[in-house]
Amino acid sequence: MTRNLHRLFVRSSAIALSIVGFSTTAVAHFQVLYTPEMAPSRANSTRFTMVFTHPVHGGPHMDMGQPEQFYVVSQRGSDSEPKRTDLMKHIKPIDWLSNTKADAGEAQTPIKAFNASLPRSVTRSLGDHIFVLQPAPYYESSEDKYIQQFTRTMVNVGGVPGNWAEPMDLPAEIQPLNKPYANWTGGVFRGRVLADGKPVPNAEMEIEFINHALDQDGRRFGEAGKVKLPQDAYGTQTIYADAQGEFAIGLPRAGWWGICALAIGATTEHEGKALSQDAVLWVQVKDMK
Amino acid sequence: MRAPVFRQPSFLFAALLLTGAFLFTGTFTATTAFAHSPICNCYNDEENDNKVICEGGFSDGGSAEGVGVKVLNDRDRVLINGAMNADSIFTFTKPDDDFHIIYDAGPSHQVIIYVDDIE
Repeated sequence: MTRNLHRLFVRSSAIALSIVGFSTTAVAHFQVLYTPEMAPSRANSTRFTMVFTHPVHGGPHMDMGQPEQFYVVSQRGSDSEPKRTDLMKHIKPIDWLSNTKADAGEAQTPIKAFNASLPRSVTRSLGDHIFVLQPAPYYESSEDKYIQQFTRTMVNVGGVPGNWAEPMDLPAEIQPLNKPYANWTGGVFRGRVLADGKPVPNAEMEIEFINHALDQDGRRFGEAGKVKLPQDAYGTQTIYADAQGEFAIGLPRAGWWGICALAIGATTEHEGKALSQDAVLWVQVKDMK
Repeated sequence: MRAPVFRQPSFLFAALLLTGAFLFTGTFTATTAFAHSPICNCYNDEENDNKVICEGGFSDGGSAEGVGVKVLNDRDRVLINGAMNADSIFTFTKPDDDFHIIYDAGPSHQVIIYVDDIE
């Protein structure tokens, strides 16, 4: 069963801003781990933005706690050994702003998000660089439960593949069966839902498009959506994995797509309340030009 | 910035190479290389200004161990002749003259990296 309560907006101010137009909208929480380019030709310094939000609507956003882990596992070529690099020292808190303009005289309350500016040395090598964010559990008061989304964004430098398809045995994980960083518009993306490295049969999943351009410098999403949703059900696509934990989705538009498998982790309690350990994987899609 | 150069062999040429590889097992690495695009990237060693590090690979993730690397001057005279190590890396000391690098994965499968391309 879907998370009915999970989809309620969590901040009264956000509700006030959001109520016009989609007061009954079903939206999914997504831990964003964004950098503009997943497949650079050459190594560059990179900046990641971490914001907990509802990407198809560009908000409302939720305050993040200090992340528990942020690291990258890099591998050049299929035969080499993966190398793990801790990146916690690069994480800095930022204020993330609403994408809706406040009325005159009305103050906006930013929410807490994080940035990580990484030197070129982090992605210096050719190959795959799998960035993993383990956020602090977020307390969803409307459900009286915690949500923790183990989030992965994969960057490939130069076209030499590495460990993109290898399971990492995370508590909650989506194992890609296509390269997440190299997808054409109109293509199909396949994956497998794993918990502690084992397939999760029939996992409930949600898919959302980052419909409002993410402005790293402005620390907000764009006000106008790229796609007009014909009806609420189009905002969050809900699917189920099959008996082997595998799934396939279409990629109808260029941009960033988030794939989330809900409540698949083995740990189900945090500080005396229910905990949903989810897996999030981000996929970048480009037009054939 | 000049783009790396690599070209695909013809089907007939590939078939001849595969036949050759079948006869001479010593060409296994070259056979692997011909089946996929060679990729090479060179950058300055941040710990030693006089050194350049080149990483090799293939589009299928195959190892570049043993793939030849040449450093040549502007008159195409070979200044350094070596090969990728077990980690698919080749490191060399910068020559005094202008130079370019050829990552040589076999005929028609060469990547040329010019000085301007070295980060």
